[in-house]
Amino acid sequence: MSNRAPIVNPSSSSSTQTVARVRASRRLFSKLDGVFNEEVFFLILCVFIGIFSGLAVVCFRLAIDWTHLALLGPLPETHSWRLFAIPSLAGIVVAILVLHVFPGIRGSGVNQTKSALYIFNGFIPFRTAIGKFICAGLAIGSGQSLGPEDPSLQIGASIASALGRQLEISREKLRLMAPVGAAAGLAAAFNAPISAVLFVIEEVIGRWSAGILGSVVLSAVASVVIVRSFLGSEPLFRIPITAFKRPSELLAYAVLGIVGGLASVAFAKAVGYLRPILKGLPRWTQYFQPALAGLLIGLIAFLGFPQIMGAGYGSMDEAMHGQYEWKVLAILAVLKIIATTFSFVSGTPGGMFAPTLFIGAMLGGAVGDIERILFPQLTGSTGTYVLVGMGVLFAGFLRVPMTSVFMVLEVSGNYEIVVPVIVANTFSYLISRSLQPIPIFDMLTRQDGLILPSLEEDREETILRVEDAMLPVPDTILSAQDYVDANFHRVQDSADSTFLVRMHPSGWNIATREQLQRFYREGKGELTLASVLPVQSLPSLYPDLSLDSALRYVNDYSLIPVVNRADSRRLEGVVSRDSVFQKYGSERAIEVPGNA
Amino acid sequence: MRWKLPKLVPRSAPIILLVLTLAAVSGFAAVSHLVSRYNLNQQARGRRLYAQGLADVATKRYDDAIAAFRAALTCDPTNPQYELTLARTLRDSNDPRRLDEAESYLLALWQRAPQDAAVNLALARVAARRGSIEDATRYFHNAMYGVWASDPDANRNRARIELIEFLLKRNARAPADSELIALAASLPASPAAHLQAAHLFEQAQDYAGALAQCEVVLRLDPGNAAALAGAGETAYRFGDYVLAQRYLRMAANANPEDSVSRQLLESTDLILRANPFHSHISDAERNRRIDAALAQAEVRLTRCAQQAHVDLNSTANPPASPLPGLQARWLLAKPDLKLLRSPAETDLPDAIMDVVFQIEQQTAATCGPPQTLDLALLLISRKRETATQ
Repeated sequence: MSNRAPIVNPSSSSSTQTVARVRASRRLFSKLDGVFNEEVFFLILCVFIGIFSGLAVVCFRLAIDWTHLALLGPLPETHSWRLFAIPSLAGIVVAILVLHVFPGIRGSGVNQTKSALYIFNGFIPFRTAIGKFICAGLAIGSGQSLGPEDPSLQIGASIASALGRQLEISREKLRLMAPVGAAAGLAAAFNAPISAVLFVIEEVIGRWSAGILGSVVLSAVASVVIVRSFLGSEPLFRIPITAFKRPSELLAYAVLGIVGGLASVAFAKAVGYLRPILKGLPRWTQYFQPALAGLLIGLIAFLGFPQIMGAGYGSMDEAMHGQYEWKVLAILAVLKIIATTFSFVSGTPGGMFAPTLFIGAMLGGAVGDIERILFPQLTGSTGTYVLVGMGVLFAGFLRVPMTSVFMVLEVSGNYEIVVPVIVANTFSYLISRSLQPIPIFDMLTRQDGLILPSLEEDREETILRVEDAMLPVPDTILSAQDYVDANFHRVQDSADSTFLVRMHPSGWNIATREQLQRFYREGKGELTLASVLPVQSLPSLYPDLSLDSALRYVNDYSLIPVVNRADSRRLEGVVSRDSVFQKYGSERAIEVPGNA
Repeated sequence: MRWKLPKLVPRSAPIILLVLTLAAVSGFAAVSHLVSRYNLNQQARGRRLYAQGLADVATKRYDDAIAAFRAALTCDPTNPQYELTLARTLRDSNDPRRLDEAESYLLALWQRAPQDAAVNLALARVAARRGSIEDATRYFHNAMYGVWASDPDANRNRARIELIEFLLKRNARAPADSELIALAASLPASPAAHLQAAHLFEQAQDYAGALAQCEVVLRLDPGNAAALAGAGETAYRFGDYVLAQRYLRMAANANPEDSVSRQLLESTDLILRANPFHSHISDAERNRRIDAALAQAEVRLTRCAQQAHVDLNSTANPPASPLPGLQARWLLAKPDLKLLRSPAETDLPDAIMDVVFQIEQQTAATCGPPQTLDLALLLISRKRETATQ
């Protein structure tokens, strides 16, 4: 017996209506399809990346909080066995997960995002997002001295990369997906969209364009909106009243910049020295490295400094409100450098953004308090020095000068301290650059055997310009308005074989000696040069353009005019293939002394 | 872990966006659910920690209380009650370093709800701790005119009373007087409230205002012993000894244990008996009182000179001592007593009593506050001076 339902013959009117609806829908979609070119589609996609990253970061933060509450309790306890046991045991679990389940999550999320952009065509495995979520959540929640920002950045980048791959967007766009997601993740973690955008542009992408900026901004803003809708718009810290009253106090902030620069160098050198040593130890030791780091942190907490556990935002808040004496602040800064160095080099997943802010905050508070003891006339509050100190370490350790300034401004919402922040950050950045030439992210990449473009080096690199290869204005310049006869006689005294021709009313062309001789022989002497020369648009260059831009033309044209930007008829000089290549050759000889 | 969505739908941009929108909406809903569950748990934990903090405050364990309130606030960051209580505890923990943090919490609350009277009151107390009259007055006023959760009139008066006490402590008499006038106008018909106001008026040395408040109390509760004592004492300080005598006598009768009123009554009786300028006394009685006053002044001067080791008859005294000069004036005034009966000498009582008053004032300055009749004469002199001014 058949169980099939009897076939019902639909009425003809309802069938017609359904078909009409489907057709209307198809027409609508086909029209909409025309609206979405790749650029528009990519920008809309960036908003979705921001939304998904924001949702993921909200969950990540809840996971960290929940882990912390479950493992360490809501109240800070000193002299408790849990301070030792929890980070150590969690460290073993994290090590097992990192070694066996999520091997790709070791290292910095910033570098993995850069690798995706420059090496892996935008590919970051989705497993990385899951691994970072679980392992970093467990590590930070159990008290390891690391921050949630770097994992958030990588979770965002991972989600974006996975989405891009699923949607099979072009390779060029797919490469950009990871940085776009990274900006969203970082913005959500810091609740600071401007700093996140600047960081990704400054440290990951390294170049500005309307398209890149638009996509990164859209994703960052979308993620921040999501995070704020769930977790509120309160800043990471309650900002005390800060003020900058007397310009002479900039000296005090400069001193803070110098101390911060030295601390940044010490921190970076400690990480750079210990990381390869620990990585080079036998594999079985890697099961215990995070646990030993956890034990060390537990010991420090047990001895009376539980503030160094986790990201430490609560303690930064207390420091900002003058809850610690300068001695305690200085001790906390030193202990946090030690704790974070060991947490990070042990391979525990987690970021260094929050610890950097912590160290800067404590150092800033300590230096500020000492300065005020020595010079009671200083008016800056402890909170002001703590805020400036955060920027100082950000500039010196992470080497992102622009982001460091905006980070402080965005977090504090106070533009009065912009001058102290800029002054202190500049000192810190310069000292760090001179004592530690390789930035921390580049150092970590090189330790991992990857060569990624160093954006700081790019920024500092000397750019060859057209004026560097420019030859003087030739003695003989022909006029297209003159007759061939006159031009032919003009070139008789010249040794050159190619001549620039000034066109009317504007523009340039080239004539060779052979061409002029041929026109003359063919009896075209009574004609203007313009009428006989082949029509071609000779490009012109400006002296300040990159010499690379001349390379596009030197094979096609033997002589290229270099004109003034204010008056394109005014000739500044010329470049030829030989002059351009000679310049590149001489630069190469300087770069590689052995070739000289 | 390579994963791929099955290609169930054609890869058209609108369809992709539709799918992404659905995914975003679903994700949003799921995270909303998760966050609300988490928040509920956190709020419950926050309540427990808050209760623990309150218990710590009750036993003055401020450090533990602050830690508990901080943790409660971490669990429920938007709870203004936790924030306010933490700020109050930081303020009251007697650690000057915590005052900044308390103020920061309160300012954050104030920015969210500038009309909240409790927050303004807490900020006023922080400003009062810092000794800033301007800020404290501003925040106290905000509290008075702000929104109270319950019993607004009583709370407003309490805030004003606190402001007055602060201003008096900081010696800011003029603003305190203004606030006292405003307070007197806004008090409910309650003997306790008016008695408190009378006390504040008295602290501000506005004895007329204090007396008026005590009289309001006596109208509300005629037998109120505290008001009777207050009115008597205030009238005494004000210099209205007849009124003081009446109230103090009633106070002493109403509360026989009130030794202060009894002492003041004795002093008042003495003043009234010794005052030669009292109306409704005969000339003979006036002359008798002047005679007695001059004799008492001599006794006081002699004793004070002995106490200060000054020989009234010697010329070798320190040049700064005014006592020998007073002795000389007394000797000059003594014979004038006989002329008091003469109707032509109308200025003589004033002149003799002027010598008495100078002796009493100077000996009080040199040898300390006097007792009994000397005190009465001193107070009469002060009242006389005030009347002259």
